Amino acid sequence: MENANGLEAAASVTPTPKRRPPSRLVRVEQRTAWLLLSPTFVILAVIALYPFAQVVYSSFTNAKFASSTETRFVGLDNYRALFAFTIKELPPRLDEDGEPVLRDGQVQYESWVSVLPRQPQRFRQVFQFSLLGKRYVLGAVSAEFIRAVWDTVVFTVVAVFFETVLGMIIALTLAGNFPGRGLMRAAMLVPWAVITVVSARIWEWMLQPTRAGLFNTVGSYLGLSEGRTDFFGNPTLQLPSMIMMDVWKTTPFMALLLLAGLATIPSDIYEAAKVDGAGPLRRFFRITVPLLRPTLAVALIFRTLDSLRVFDIFQVVLGNQRYSMASFAQDMLVSRRDLGMSSAASMVIFVIIFVFALIYIRMLRVDTR
Amino acid sequence: MKRSLYALLVLLLGSAAFAQTTITVAAGAVGQELELTRAAAQRYMEQNPGVTVNVLETPDLSDNRLSVYLQLFEARSPEVDVFQIDVIWPGDLAEHFVDLYEYGAREVADEHFPAIIENNTVDGRLVGIPWFTDAGLLYYRTDLLEKYGYDGPPTTWEELTEMAQTIQDGERAAGNPDFWGYVWQGNSYEGLTCDALEWVASFGGGSIISPEGVITINNPAAIDAVELAASWVGTISPNGVTSFGEEEARNMWQAGNAAFMRNWPYAYSLGNAADSAIAGNFDVSPLPAGPGGSPAATLGGWQLAVSRYSANPEVAADVALFMASYEEQKIRAVEGSLNPTIMALYEDAEVLEAVPFFGSLYDVFINAVARPSTVSAPDYAAVSRAFYTAVHSVLTGTETAADAMAIAEADIQDITGLETGAPTAD
Repeated sequence: MENANGLEAAASVTPTPKRRPPSRLVRVEQRTAWLLLSPTFVILAVIALYPFAQVVYSSFTNAKFASSTETRFVGLDNYRALFAFTIKELPPRLDEDGEPVLRDGQVQYESWVSVLPRQPQRFRQVFQFSLLGKRYVLGAVSAEFIRAVWDTVVFTVVAVFFETVLGMIIALTLAGNFPGRGLMRAAMLVPWAVITVVSARIWEWMLQPTRAGLFNTVGSYLGLSEGRTDFFGNPTLQLPSMIMMDVWKTTPFMALLLLAGLATIPSDIYEAAKVDGAGPLRRFFRITVPLLRPTLAVALIFRTLDSLRVFDIFQVVLGNQRYSMASFAQDMLVSRRDLGMSSAASMVIFVIIFVFALIYIRMLRVDTR
Repeated sequence: MKRSLYALLVLLLGSAAFAQTTITVAAGAVGQELELTRAAAQRYMEQNPGVTVNVLETPDLSDNRLSVYLQLFEARSPEVDVFQIDVIWPGDLAEHFVDLYEYGAREVADEHFPAIIENNTVDGRLVGIPWFTDAGLLYYRTDLLEKYGYDGPPTTWEELTEMAQTIQDGERAAGNPDFWGYVWQGNSYEGLTCDALEWVASFGGGSIISPEGVITINNPAAIDAVELAASWVGTISPNGVTSFGEEEARNMWQAGNAAFMRNWPYAYSLGNAADSAIAGNFDVSPLPAGPGGSPAATLGGWQLAVSRYSANPEVAADVALFMASYEEQKIRAVEGSLNPTIMALYEDAEVLEAVPFFGSLYDVFINAVARPSTVSAPDYAAVSRAFYTAVHSVLTGTETAADAMAIAEADIQDITGLETGAPTAD
């Protein structure tokens, strides 16, 4: 403290000898720069820093949404509730003679309800798994949140993979020279231009569980199904349906970015390679992919971070049947009115997305380019 | 000269102040609700030229509607003046509404059903004027019952299951592969609490939390009831019923693709409309009973409440009281088969002619089972959520009924801190 004061005093009386004092002109320019930047800083502080700080603060409280009940500081309780988990073994269900109950040759296990602890906090089942012939259950206090994180990550990885592959195919096709290219490029963009909530509704109608829906109608005509497939109610079909909707919607965005990247590769490199006898596959992997890497990195970062924040399609189509991370946070806030938990969940989402961004930047070395 | 100028000024100021009054009513859009509310707003504007009444359309599912409202309350937004609120919300939301007794509701309050007025009164404040009431009903196809040789609607769930299966098999064989026996509300939302409460109560399984404050949901009758409902999914009810709300059920029913439907009274006038495939071929009855129980209908209904954040609470309250008045409730009853909350309307000849069951099923409306919103206030929303989530997990096959009811019991205990026990026979 003393030291700092001393330094400050020194700086104000005589400039530090090691550094040359900035000229008057530089000082004036610096001042102008700060002056010109200040509106930006003010706006940033108001629209980004303040809300962010507010979320950080409320994540340590038990604040209730749209209510005047008193808010208390609860420390890390919200975070503890989000992360607390336990693994317990499920004993086989025994009949009166002490023999395990079999159904269709399968050992039946006790319900998790009786196995997971209730005190001091309720644990719920996230999923069950078998290991070395024993059955275990993973329980968590916020089972829905753990499931939402897992679902969102799976959703992101699978959807972004398909979007990249399909986007690449579309971009390579549209990069070629053919009549009607402009029209095709415009047509490609249509799904991206549709508002997500609207497209989610369109898909909801197409995927209706009766033959009023397109997929069930076509499926039943082709003899693939009875026309009663419940895409949004059946837990195993929920995520694939969401992924399908997202791939349809955002592949154009991927294709557009990659198309722009392809346009920056000079055509003479390809010609040179062709003269040297490189086939199309070799040209793709040796020229296109390396030169496209910066573009691909940007596209992947955009899409991954966007996917991790997915909200609208989950909210519109699945409501509170199943959550993405963001729709969980929203539901926690406006339906359960738990502002504190919702803020804590939002902070966790923030950290998860941040980690993904860091991994990408490291892996693809975007920063050094 | 001076005086006339003064008069002119007053006139100008007065009319300017008047012309500026705009009242926004957040209203439902299920069935014909929106059209009816818009027409009422129009009538109010004709009688009060200085006021503009806008009607804001809100989401169909009550949980989503609550989310929209809460966001407005959190922002203390004066954007909406009058809110259409569910019968279960007064306890949770009272702090955001004005006391209508201070705005002239005192004179009209005793025209309404006392039970609803009591429900809407929080700490002596009337936070909502009753607008229409609801009770779950069984809709059935008279033509199909006759075709398959049934004398009347089912009185037990067992009968309903059997009849629905027979009619469904017959209609499918006759060339309608999209036909289903029974449609209802199975999505994971407040509506499922209503449906499931009817199953449970009609099996003699209590009403989730007893009025004395005992959590009764985990009992054998309740488990049987939920198990039976789960057995319908994919047999007499479409698999997709687990994502059905009121309107999804009604659409299927009105297209002529279902033999039975559980729904609220609003579906009656729509089913008899000109564009309905089943006009004149259906009727309503009380819902069936379980073994050893008696029929139960969940009490529903909506109120009009005036926001505390409104810029013009007097005018807003006037709009609300106008819309809930005898004349307006009569129009809504005749045109939209929405149950009046004013007792005298159940003896009104025109109302009874348009909707005969208002008379014949009067007892159902009077004896409807209330959701435990009073005893669990202000945590009803969380309690209901625990219940419908548990029931939904049974319907989709992720939990057994016994486990789900144990989970619901523990959840509700964590939320409310109440004791658990067996339901008392009534």
